Amino acid sequence: MSGPNRPATGAETIAFTFDGTTYHARPGDTLAAALLANGVGLVARSFKYHRPRGIMTAGIEEPNALVTIGTGGRAEPNTRATDVFVYPGMVANSQNRWPSLAFDVASIFGLAAPALGAGFYYKTFFGPAKHWMLYEGFIRRAAGLGNAPTEADPDNFSQKAGFCDVLVVGSGPAGLKAALDAAEAGSRVMLVEQDAVLGGSLLRDPDPSIDVAAMVERIRALGGEVLLRTTASGYWDHNFLTLTQRLAEPGAVPEHGFAQRLWHVRAGRVILATGLIERPVPFANNDHPGVMLSQAVRSYVRRWGVLPGKRVVIATNNDDAYLTAEALVDAGAEVVALLDARASGPAAPAGVTVYHDARPSSVTGRKHALRKVTAVICGSEQSFDADLIAVSGGFVPVSHLHMQAGGKLTWNEEAQAFIPGETPQACETVGAALNPLPAPAIAPVGKAKKSFVDFQNDVSLADIDLAWQEGYRSVEHLKRYTTLGMATDQGKTSNMVALSRLAERQGVTVPEAGLTTFRPPYTPVTMGLLAGAGARNAGAHVRRIPLHALHAAHDPIWQPLGYWFRPRAYPVNGESLAEASLREARTVRTLAGLSDVSTLGKFEVSGPDAAALLELVCATTVGKLAVGRGRYTFMCREDGFVNDDGTVWRLAENRYLLTSSTGGADRMAHHISYVRNSLRLDLKCSVVNVQEHYAGIALAGPKARAILASLIGAEPPRHMGYAPGVLAGVPVHVLAASYSGERAFEIHVEATHAAVVWHAIEAATRVEGGAPYGLEAMELLRIEKGHVVVGGEVDGRSTPHDLGLGGMLNKAGGFIGAAGLTRPALSAPNRNNLVGLVSLDGPIPEGGMLIQRAGQSPQGHVTAAARRILEGGAIALALLQGGHKRHGEEMIVTSPTRGEKARVRVTSPHFYDPAGERYRD
Amino acid sequence: MIPPGNATVTDTTSIIALPAAPLHALEIWSNPVAVGARIQKGLGFAPPPLNRSTGNTATTLLRYEPTVWLVEGDVSVLADTLGDDGGLTGIGGGIVRFRIAGPGWRELLLEGGVFDTSAAAFPAGATAATVIDHVGVRLHAESEDACVAYVPASYAEGLHHFWEEALPLLGA
Repeated sequence: MSGPNRPATGAETIAFTFDGTTYHARPGDTLAAALLANGVGLVARSFKYHRPRGIMTAGIEEPNALVTIGTGGRAEPNTRATDVFVYPGMVANSQNRWPSLAFDVASIFGLAAPALGAGFYYKTFFGPAKHWMLYEGFIRRAAGLGNAPTEADPDNFSQKAGFCDVLVVGSGPAGLKAALDAAEAGSRVMLVEQDAVLGGSLLRDPDPSIDVAAMVERIRALGGEVLLRTTASGYWDHNFLTLTQRLAEPGAVPEHGFAQRLWHVRAGRVILATGLIERPVPFANNDHPGVMLSQAVRSYVRRWGVLPGKRVVIATNNDDAYLTAEALVDAGAEVVALLDARASGPAAPAGVTVYHDARPSSVTGRKHALRKVTAVICGSEQSFDADLIAVSGGFVPVSHLHMQAGGKLTWNEEAQAFIPGETPQACETVGAALNPLPAPAIAPVGKAKKSFVDFQNDVSLADIDLAWQEGYRSVEHLKRYTTLGMATDQGKTSNMVALSRLAERQGVTVPEAGLTTFRPPYTPVTMGLLAGAGARNAGAHVRRIPLHALHAAHDPIWQPLGYWFRPRAYPVNGESLAEASLREARTVRTLAGLSDVSTLGKFEVSGPDAAALLELVCATTVGKLAVGRGRYTFMCREDGFVNDDGTVWRLAENRYLLTSSTGGADRMAHHISYVRNSLRLDLKCSVVNVQEHYAGIALAGPKARAILASLIGAEPPRHMGYAPGVLAGVPVHVLAASYSGERAFEIHVEATHAAVVWHAIEAATRVEGGAPYGLEAMELLRIEKGHVVVGGEVDGRSTPHDLGLGGMLNKAGGFIGAAGLTRPALSAPNRNNLVGLVSLDGPIPEGGMLIQRAGQSPQGHVTAAARRILEGGAIALALLQGGHKRHGEEMIVTSPTRGEKARVRVTSPHFYDPAGERYRD
Repeated sequence: MIPPGNATVTDTTSIIALPAAPLHALEIWSNPVAVGARIQKGLGFAPPPLNRSTGNTATTLLRYEPTVWLVEGDVSVLADTLGDDGGLTGIGGGIVRFRIAGPGWRELLLEGGVFDTSAAAFPAGATAATVIDHVGVRLHAESEDACVAYVPASYAEGLHHFWEEALPLLGA
């Protein structure tokens, strides 16, 4: 284009930049409209050949004009210039070019196009896998789209539920009428429109008989919800749809901090008024700036007052393009020729010469516009000086959502288009999508190599022909071999043109050639939108223990544990993690320590049948527990493998407390609920998850008993005993249980009073020389004692026998997993058994493999490694084939990925106080 | 923990963390009709049906599950009426209550939600166990103007922050 294509009126008040140059736009302009108004026709470079590309459409189907909008973390690459509205300060940049859009060195690939056809990658980049590392860097630099931002997105993304009786997608005449009808019938209506303005095709072809504003006002008055800049991007089962709503334009600073919203809508009925997409026409260089779809040209003229060209050729096979001729003539453009592929057509506007049996064969052009259009008219070539060609190859109903809903398509021969048919969901299509204009097939006449079909992926007619010649008959194979329809636009403008070519080559009809499947999302969706507000914390809120703030005051090293955060160690005087944890563990071994164990799973089971339920859930006996006593227990899955472990306590005649591991707490909650509510609904009992009701504080060490006695004013219960008590004026449950190997207690207190209790215990412990200890010290202590941990030794493949717990099984059976345990494979002699390892030289690499000699297949692996707390030396727990009978054997632990190894001796897993002497007072 | 009374207030909609309250899980495992009659006699009202609430000034019963009610307030009368047909278990230490009040409360609960909070689907007096931003939450529509959300204490701070951030979006 040689200059501005819209006379300035003073309304051009919005300044924006494109590739660093400042332009001005009017309110309501899309970037595409604004660029065209400013005479900018060259907007992008193509994916593979770096061919110059302009603006082809006026909607979300745009395949060419992909740009990057915004800067820093807000930069949004691959944004369609036709789908972003200009705002003050907008920064837009072209992409996939170097050093500039006008002079792109990589456009040299266009010269090599004959060698880069369909299947180029498959034919070229084969050989040893390591060669791919070489190819990949080259390919990634040479081809591609925009660059993903390297900075974090500073904005938030909302996800919101929506409910309605009727969801109407599209606000053209049919959508507006459907929404109004439904609202007036008393339905709860949602009307969604991807544009910033309602009206759909009325914005291009106004109809004085339709008052859009009045209709929308009426819909809203009846309680309807109308969402603009909202695209129905996914249609799932049960009339569940996902909508993508832009709360701010790409790259803009959102008013409320939220850039987009993902709606999760459950609709009683869905009405799709999604309209049509115009089909391009294949001819040589049909991707050049200045080649536009006919309806897009009309939109720019009528909606935005932009004249995309001054001397225009129109090429069509249907009546609709005649309206474009009218619009152009009205706007003062010269329509130098109207090429109609048909033998006849409607009357053209005065002064427009219509050529029948005429179709374009090629165009040539300048940087921003065309120079010449060549056509074949009644078999003869004729050229026209023109800066724009408006093409219309017919219309494709937007049936993507209909297909996502499971709907069928039917073939309309007159329109050469698939029309929405039956659907298994409460969904119907209305309006233009059901009635595309008749548009006969046109045989292309230009050179196939430069007649592009899929503009975004640079797929030409020649590529389709080549795939056919090489034996690709299925449309699905064609798609994958040529990358047809696999770009960000999912072939919105290319699919039908390509199918027509494939059908022509096969000598079959288009329906016989087949159709690829439309899948969500309808238009690209940013990853942040899918992550929602959880994008900043890995998709979930951090779970805070009741004493989180209290621990934070100690400035501990935190440990993520599932969704929880727990203190890993409390370093003092600049200690490292290893130094702090060893000091804390030694303090527990020699004096006393306290630790927060609030995250333990806890279930209160009450009622006359409480014991019966627990004997089903737990693999150990429970029923014989006396009031005030507890025991270690573990729970199996139906298949006999250990599911979790914990302790069970009889608090009163008909009331028990079952604890389980932190990591298994949610799993156990589901499991117990299943047992209670599905397997044994008949039991007279109640199971309540009290994991968060009680905070838990472990007090362990040789001085723990004395410290606790001073705090509760009574002798604490003996090992595995329970007693209620009052500590610092607060009622507590005292469970004499030990995970550390020392005399120890768990004090469980209602979480809202936990701080008072912690402070009292900590103060008394410090008087005795003790201190808080974290997860790392707990790990050292439990490894030395030989206690298993769920997720380590209990890895979902361990049976009670594997872990040395077989002797504790309820011999009467009846527990979940008892039947599974009888399977012969679960008592095979070569199963992985829990063992201890003592190093004969250096540290034992955690996760390392156990072998007898170099080159041998692994016979087991290290589940947890540590150092001895008081004595020094390295130890570990491991799962070893037939390990129970291999104590004393020397082996090698090797970790090839870390380059570490150690010689070890297999032992019992109980390194510390195996007789349990230290539990006794 | 969220300090009780900590309020986030916009022109129209507020989120207030309520003081800790006695909360219990009440399960009736046998003879529900007889137990209901005893509760009616003791408290002056029968246990509400599923997804409804009933109460007096001292005690409110909110039903979320087929056999389980959340009891807010005094349980002394209930404890005496259950016999061997049901049990009470304290759970208040693990729950933070938020009162979301004002005309925007229904819309706010749609943020990150999966549950229809419209007046027709969730009228005053209704209860619901649902998920908001991946957190299991129980809701009680106290009135047309306010809803109480019972949030697991470990998620309370995170969800409070989530709602605070979403407040400006109301009506957007």
